[in-house]
Amino acid sequence: MSIIKIENLTKDYGNGRGIFDINLEVKQGEIFGYVGTNGSGKTTTIRNMLGFVYPDSGKIEIDGTDPVTHSAELMNKVSYIPGEIAFPNLKSGADFLKLQAEYYGITDFTRMNYIADKLGLDTTADLKRMSKGMKQKTAIVAAFMSERDIMILDEPTTGLDPLMRDVFIELINEEKKKGRTVFLSGHIFEELEEVCDRVAMLKDGKIIDVIDMYALRHYSDRIFEIVFENEKSANAFKNTFDGAYVRGNSAFTSIPAERADQLFKALSGFNVIQIHEKHTTLEEVFMKDYNI
Amino acid sequence: MKTAKYFSWPLMKQTIRSNRVLTVAIMIVMILMCVVISIARNMMMSGTTDSTTSTTFMTYLYVIASSGLKYDYEGLMAGTYDTAYSTVFALLGDGYSLEQFKEAASALMDAGTYETYLSTFEYNWALMNETGIFTGEALDINEFMGLMMESMGMSSDLLENMEDIDMSSMLNQMYYTIMDILPLLVYIVVVGNSLIASQVDRGSMAYVLSTPTKRSAVVITQAIYMIVVPFLMIAITCCVKIAMSAGLSGDPDAAVTIMLYFGMYILIEAMAGLCYLGSCLFNRSGKSMAFGGGLTVWFFLASLLGMFGSDNLVQMGMGVEILGVFNNLTLIGLFDIDSIATIGTDAVSYAFVWKLVVLFVIAVAAYVGGAIRFTKKDLPL
Repeated sequence: MSIIKIENLTKDYGNGRGIFDINLEVKQGEIFGYVGTNGSGKTTTIRNMLGFVYPDSGKIEIDGTDPVTHSAELMNKVSYIPGEIAFPNLKSGADFLKLQAEYYGITDFTRMNYIADKLGLDTTADLKRMSKGMKQKTAIVAAFMSERDIMILDEPTTGLDPLMRDVFIELINEEKKKGRTVFLSGHIFEELEEVCDRVAMLKDGKIIDVIDMYALRHYSDRIFEIVFENEKSANAFKNTFDGAYVRGNSAFTSIPAERADQLFKALSGFNVIQIHEKHTTLEEVFMKDYNI
Repeated sequence: MKTAKYFSWPLMKQTIRSNRVLTVAIMIVMILMCVVISIARNMMMSGTTDSTTSTTFMTYLYVIASSGLKYDYEGLMAGTYDTAYSTVFALLGDGYSLEQFKEAASALMDAGTYETYLSTFEYNWALMNETGIFTGEALDINEFMGLMMESMGMSSDLLENMEDIDMSSMLNQMYYTIMDILPLLVYIVVVGNSLIASQVDRGSMAYVLSTPTKRSAVVITQAIYMIVVPFLMIAITCCVKIAMSAGLSGDPDAAVTIMLYFGMYILIEAMAGLCYLGSCLFNRSGKSMAFGGGLTVWFFLASLLGMFGSDNLVQMGMGVEILGVFNNLTLIGLFDIDSIATIGTDAVSYAFVWKLVVLFVIAVAAYVGGAIRFTKKDLPL
C-alpha cells in the first residue's frame, strides 16, 4: 500500500530550477531514499510534500491527506527534519525541545530523553553556540520524539560524525521495525545504501532512476576477487576456472550465486590469501545514471 | 489529535521569551523619558508666575511711587512702611490693602521673579516721565524693546508672538510625537520583523509549521502579540505619567493624559500593522526591514520636519511655515495632540476623532492583509 503518492508534481522556479513532473510512490513501512546533487530539487520536493510550498501542478497525497489544503492535519502524521537548521531565539537546547514537545502536545519526555541519550546530546548547551553536529542532533531529537508514522528527513546526517551516523542508522532501523515509513534525502551514498529499501535519483528536477536496493544487494551474478601469493598461481587458477581473468596477483570472476560452491571447490588446491565479493555500489549506479 | 487553528500558546510563549530583553529595555527607556519630561514640565510651569500677581504688585508700586514714598522689600516685610502705605492705600478705596501688596510681593519673591518685576517697573516709571528729545512724544517701554530687538537683527513681531507661544503644547508635541514614540518605533520595527519574516528567512519557522499548527494560528498569535504588548507598554507609561503629574503638581489631568496615550497607541498600531504587513509579505528579513523600517523612519522624519512648520515654532522664528506640508505626509500627523488637549476645556475640538479612525482603519487593513498573504504564499522552509 502506498502511503506517499506524488503525481505529476511540478514546481517551476524559472531558469530551469525547480522540479518537473515528479511521480513517486512510497509504500508503508518503506525506507525511501532521495538522492541528487545540490540544487537538483530534493528540498523543493520535500517542501511541497509538507505544504510549505504550493505546487504549480500535480498532486500529493500523504496517508490520504493533501498537504496543500490540510498541512496542519498532516503534521499529526508526519515528523520533519528541515535541511537548514536554524532554531528559534531561545536559550538552551532543552528549552527548545520542551517547547517543541508543547507544540506536539507531548508531556512525557521519556522518548525525548532516550533519543538525546542515544545521540549523546547535552541539551543544556546554549542553542546559539552549538556546533553544526550538535544542532543536527537537536533537530533529530525534535523530529523523533513526536513518534509520527511518517518521517520526512531532509539531509538528516549533515554534520554528524561517522559514529553518530551509525547511531542514526540504528534509530532509522528501529523506526522501520515499528513499521514506520521514512523518506530521507541525502548525498552520502554509503548510509543510504545501508538503510534504504529503494532510492530515487533526481537530476535537474526530474527523477531519472528508482533503484531497488534489495536487487542491488542481491545481484544474480556475483563478482569475486581472489588474491593469490603470486601471479603464477593466479594464472594457474585462471586456467582451471571458466571466465576468470587476472590482474596482478588477483583473479576476478563473475558467477551466478548458485555456482559459488563450484568456485570454492576449484580453489581448494590453491593457497588463497584473500577472497572477497565486490558489490555494485549505489554510487556506481549514480555515476552511471548521471553520466559522470 | 489537536490542531491549533487560530491560536498557539507555545508560539506565544516562544515569542514572549525571544523578545523579552528588548521589551524590558524599551520599557525602561520609555518610563525614564516619561519621568524626566514630567519633572522638566513641572519646573517650567513653576518658573512662570500668574500674571495677575505681577500686575497687582506693579499697581501698588505705581501708587507708592506716585505718592513719593520710599520702598524696599526688607522694609515692607519688617513693617517699617506700614502706616504710610496704609494711609495711601485707604485712599484708593475697597479692594486695596497692605496685606494684598505684601502677599503679591512675597509670591514673586518665592517664584524668583521679584527682581525682574521691580526693575521692569523702574524702567517703566523712568520712561513714563520722559519724552523724546526730537519727537517730543512720550517714550514707551514696549516700543523701546521692539527697537532694541530690531537693532540686534531680530523681527520686532517676535516679541508679540512670544507671548502667544503655548509652551505646554510644544512640550506635549515633543513628548508625544518624538520622545515617547521613538523607542516604540524601534520596538515595532525590530519585533515586527522578528515575528514572521526573520523566522521564515532563517528557517526556524519550520519547527512551528511542522507541528500541528496552522499558518492561520501563526499569524493570529503573532498579531495578538503585536497588538497587546505595545498596549501594555503604553498603558504602563500612561500610569507612570499620571502618577508623576499627581505627585508633582497635584493635578493628574487624567482624562487628557489617557486620551493622549490612547491616541498614541492607535498611531503605534497603525505603524506596527505596516511593519507586520512587511513581515508577512517578504521572505527575506532585509526586505521586510526595509519596508517596515523605511516607512517608520520616513514617518518619523516627516513629522520632525512638520514640527518646524508648526505654529509654535514659526512664531518663535525657528520654523518655516511651508514645512507644515510634511505633517500631511506622515501618519504621525494624524495624531492630533492639540485637539486632544482641548478635552475638559470649554471648547472641545473633536478633530482628533476622525484622524484616529483613519489610523485605526490603516491598522486593521495592514494586519488583515498581512495575515491573508502569509497563509497563501510559498515558504522556503
